[in-house]
Amino acid sequence: MIKNYLKIAFRNLWRHRVFSFINILGLTVGMTACFLIFLYVKFELSYDKFNSKAANIYRLNTDIKTPSETINTSVTAWPFAPNIKREFPEVETFTRVNNGSFLVRKGDAKFQEDNTLFADSTFFDVFDIKMLKGDPKTALKDMFSVVFTEDAAKKYFGNENPIGKQVLLTGDGIPATVTGIIQNIPENSILKGDMLVSMTTFTQRLNKNIDQQWGNFGATSFLLLKPGADPRAMEKKFPDFIERNNGKERKESQMFYTFTLQPLKDIYLYSTRDGNKSGNMNNVYIFSIIAVFILLIACINFINLTTARSSERAKEVGIRKVVGAAKSQVARQFIGESVILCIIAFMLTVLLSVLLLPLFNKLAGKVVSHGIFTNWQYLLLLFSAAISIGVLAGAYPALILSSFKPVVVLKGRFATGTKGILLRKGLVVAQFSISVVLIIATLVVYLQMNYMRKRDLGFSKDQMVVVSTQGDPARFALQNAVGGLPNVKSTALSSSVPGSGNPGAYSEIENKKGDLQIANLDLYFVDWNYIPQYKIKMVAGRSFSKEFGTDTTQAMVVNESVTKLLGYSNPQEAVGRKFKQWGREGKIIGVMQDFHFRSLQQPIKPLTMRIEPDGCDLLSVNITGGNVPATLASIEKKWKEMIPNRPFSYFFMDEFFDRQYRGEERFGNLFLNFAILAIFISCLGLLGLASYSTMQRTKEIGVRKVLGASVANITTLLSSDFIKLVLISILIASPLAYIGMHKWLEGFAYRTSVSWWVFLLAAITAIFIALFTVSFQAIKAAVANPVKSLRTE
Amino acid sequence: MIKITNLEKIYRTEEVETIALNKLTIDVKEGEFVAIMGPSGCGKSTLLNILGLLDDPDGGSFIFNGVEVAHFNERKRADMRKHNIGFVFQSFNLIDELTVFENVELPLIYTGVKPADRKKRVEQVLDKMQIMHRRNHYPQQLSGGQQQRVAVARAVVNNPKLILADEPTGNLDSSNGNEVMELLTDLNEQGTTIIMVTHSEHDARFSHRIIRMLDGTTVTENILI
Repeated sequence: MIKNYLKIAFRNLWRHRVFSFINILGLTVGMTACFLIFLYVKFELSYDKFNSKAANIYRLNTDIKTPSETINTSVTAWPFAPNIKREFPEVETFTRVNNGSFLVRKGDAKFQEDNTLFADSTFFDVFDIKMLKGDPKTALKDMFSVVFTEDAAKKYFGNENPIGKQVLLTGDGIPATVTGIIQNIPENSILKGDMLVSMTTFTQRLNKNIDQQWGNFGATSFLLLKPGADPRAMEKKFPDFIERNNGKERKESQMFYTFTLQPLKDIYLYSTRDGNKSGNMNNVYIFSIIAVFILLIACINFINLTTARSSERAKEVGIRKVVGAAKSQVARQFIGESVILCIIAFMLTVLLSVLLLPLFNKLAGKVVSHGIFTNWQYLLLLFSAAISIGVLAGAYPALILSSFKPVVVLKGRFATGTKGILLRKGLVVAQFSISVVLIIATLVVYLQMNYMRKRDLGFSKDQMVVVSTQGDPARFALQNAVGGLPNVKSTALSSSVPGSGNPGAYSEIENKKGDLQIANLDLYFVDWNYIPQYKIKMVAGRSFSKEFGTDTTQAMVVNESVTKLLGYSNPQEAVGRKFKQWGREGKIIGVMQDFHFRSLQQPIKPLTMRIEPDGCDLLSVNITGGNVPATLASIEKKWKEMIPNRPFSYFFMDEFFDRQYRGEERFGNLFLNFAILAIFISCLGLLGLASYSTMQRTKEIGVRKVLGASVANITTLLSSDFIKLVLISILIASPLAYIGMHKWLEGFAYRTSVSWWVFLLAAITAIFIALFTVSFQAIKAAVANPVKSLRTE
Repeated sequence: MIKITNLEKIYRTEEVETIALNKLTIDVKEGEFVAIMGPSGCGKSTLLNILGLLDDPDGGSFIFNGVEVAHFNERKRADMRKHNIGFVFQSFNLIDELTVFENVELPLIYTGVKPADRKKRVEQVLDKMQIMHRRNHYPQQLSGGQQQRVAVARAVVNNPKLILADEPTGNLDSSNGNEVMELLTDLNEQGTTIIMVTHSEHDARFSHRIIRMLDGTTVTENILI
C-alpha cells in the first residue's frame, strides 16, 4: 500500500510540477529561514553556558546611591571579593577580572593587545577555559605571568612552545613570562580576551594598594557558590558585611551602595549595567516570532495550495473509495504525500542552510554556527520539525479530501464549498498581514537608524582622525609634529572621545543652594584645543584658555546636564561655582551645550571636563578633506619617527561613533532579509492560488469575453479579488505594527516618530507586489482564446 | 441476493425537495443480469449508488446477501463494498497517475492481498480481458474501449458477487461497446450477478430482465428469454 502511495505521490508531484515547485520552494525557504534563526537564537541563549559550573557562578553587581543619582554598575572595589570569600561559607571561590590594554613585544612582533584581561589565579577554577599548555593552578599566580590564547601566541611565537619564554610589556619593556596557552575564549562568552595577565601584576605593581581601597570601583568580581547556596539569602547579608568593612568611608563619601548577585548565564542577555547592552533578550524574542511567522506563512501556503487543488484529486479519492478504501486510508495517503514533500523540503533546507550559513554569520555579525553538520541534534530536530509540519499541514487538506463522497465527485459535480474558499482567503489575509507587519517594522528600523546617523550630535565628527597613543610619553611631541603637517587643521589630546568609554569621577560641586553636592560625574581629561576642535558650543562662561594659568589646575567645564542636576535654572548661574574632584579643587569656568558623547540609545548624562595632560592619550587630528590617504601616511610617518616601539593605530571619529549602532544595524539587516523572505513566500502562495483561481474561472472568463469583455476588464476582475484581501491585511497589520514598533522605539532615548506615510508606503508596496504576482496569471487568462476554454466544458 | 423494499431517497435543497426514489421495491437473484432503464432523472443512478453502498437511503429496507445494510455506517459500507461489489462506470474512472496494472491492483491492495498473490491475480484478469500487453501503460495512452476493459478488469479482480455497471458503453463506439457487453455477459455466465443501468435498448437485450423506471419507481419489468 505504501509503495502505491509513494508512486502516486511522486507521479503527482511530477505531473503538477509548478504547484510542487511552489510548494516545495515555499517550504524550503521557510524552513531554511526558521532553521537559521533557530541557530541564531540558540547561540544567543548559549552565552557562558559552556562553563560546567555556570549555574553557580554569579557576578557581584553594585548599585550606588549618591545624593545626585543611582549608579548601576557591574564592578566592585578590589577588596570585596576576597573578603566575601573569607566571610561567607557559601562561596567556593572567586575571581576578579578587569580589562587592560598592553603593548606586547617579542622580537620584531609588536601588537597593542586591547583585549587584555587581568585575572586572579583562581580564574580557571571558576571558568572552563581549557588550558592547552601550562598549569591552570599556577599560571596566573606570579606577577607578570602571561597566558595567551592559541591565536595570540601564534602571533609572537609561531609554532614554538612559548611556555617559560618572555615577552616585553608596555612601552617600558617590562619582561613577563608566558605561563600558559589556552584555547581561544569561545565567542559565546561575555569575557573577551586574547591575553590574560596575573591580577597580582595589577594589584601589586601597576596599582599598588588597590587591594586595600574599598572605595575604588573597577574590578568585575565573579563568585563561585557552593552547590545549594542561596544567592538571595547572601544578598540579604551584604549590607551588614559592607557596614562592617567600609561603613565609615561610605558615610563620609555619601556613596551608599548595595550588592546583588547576577547569574552568569543572565549577564549577556539581560544586563544593561554601565550602559552596556551586549545581547538583547527582546531581539531573541523578535527573531523567534519572525521564525514562527515565516514557518506559519510557509505552512499556510502549503495548506492553501493543497486544499485549492483538492478538486483535481477528487476523482482519485472517489475511485479509491469505490474500490474499497476507508476514509482513514485516504487521509493517511494525503498526509503521507504532505510528509514526502516536507522531507524533500528538509533535504533542500539542509543544502540551502549550508550555502547560506556564511552569509548569515556575516549578517548576524558573529559566528552563530561553524557548520550545519557540527551539531547533528539540530539536524534531527529539523527533520522532526519537517515531519511534524508535513503531518500538521497535511492534516487539514487530508481531512477535506478524505471526506469527499464518491457519488458526488465521480459525477463531476464537485464544487469548492464557500467554507473552503473563505478559509483560503482567510489564510491569504493572515499571510499578508504578517508580511505587511514585517514591511512596516523594517521601514521603522531603517528610519530610526537613519535618524541616529543624521541627528545633530552637538559636536563635529567629520574629518576627525583619532590616533591612540596608549599614553606614550612622546605623545606631546607627536601632537606638535602632527599639528605642523600641511593637511592638518588642528590637533587635540584627550582621555576620551565621543563613543569611547570614560571614567565616572567622585565629585563634589556647589549646587544652587550653595552646598557641595556629591555626585558621580562622567569626566573627560582634555587640552585647550579639544572643545573648539570638536566644535562643542559654549552656552555660558568660557572654554579653557592658555591665557589663564589656573585653567590647568583649578578649572572645570561642565555640560548643561550638570547644571540641571545641581538645580540651576540658567547655565550662567553655574559659572564661578566651586568643585572638588579627584584631588583637584577649583571653579566652574564655563558650561557647554549638551552633546551626545554616548549613543542615542542613552540620554545625555552630566559630563565634566578638565585640563589634565597626563591623563590624555587620544590624539584627535582634524584634517582637511583633500587626499586623506596621504595625510594619514604623513601622520604615520611622524609616529614611526617618534614612537617606533608601538604599532600605529587610528580610527575615523564618524565611523567610530556609528559603530555603537552596529547592533541595531545588524538587527535592521536581518529584519530586512527575513521580511523579504516572508513576502517572497507569501507571494508564492498568492501566485499558486491565483493560477488555480483563474484556472477554475476559465469558463467564466470565456463567457465574459464572448459577451465583449476586454483584456483589461478580465485582468481587473481577476486581480481585484486578491487586492481586496491585501487591503484587509493592511487594515489588520497596521495597528499591530504600530503598537509593536512604538514599543521597540521606546528603547531609544532619542527616536524618530512613526509617521503615517510609513503605513502608506507599506500598503503600496504590498499592493504592488500582490498585483505584480497576480497579474501574470490574470493577463494570461484574459488573453487566452475563449473558444478553447468553452470547448473544454 | 438483493431485496429492496419501499426504498426512498429524497434530495433536499433550501427550497426544493426532489424525490429520487419513491418506495421502490426490487428483488435481484444471485446470478441474474438485470438492466435498469428509464429517462434521465428517473432515479436509475441513485438506485445504483445505493445498491453499490456508495449512498444511503432515506427510508425502506435494503437486504444484501441476507443482511440489512440500509443503515450501515461508512466504515461498514466500505468493508462490505470492497469484498462484494465491483463497479464499471460510463467514464471509466481510472486513476490517471497509475498504470493499467496498478489500477487493476488497487482493490486487492485495499482488501489486503499479499503482493505476490496480487501480481498473479492482476495478470490473470488482464490476460482474460486481453489487455496484458498494455499493463505498463497509463490510462491516457489507451483507447476508450481499452480503458473500459481495464475498468472491467478492476471491477472483477476481487471476484465480487455483484457487478454494478453505470452505462458501461456510454462513452464507446458500437464495436467497443459490444466487446464490453460480451465481457459482462461472460462474467455473468460464470456466476457473477450484474446490475446495469443503460439508455441503450441494444445493451439491455444482453440482460435477463429489464426494469423500467419513471419518477423514482418501477413501471414495468420485462423478462427476456
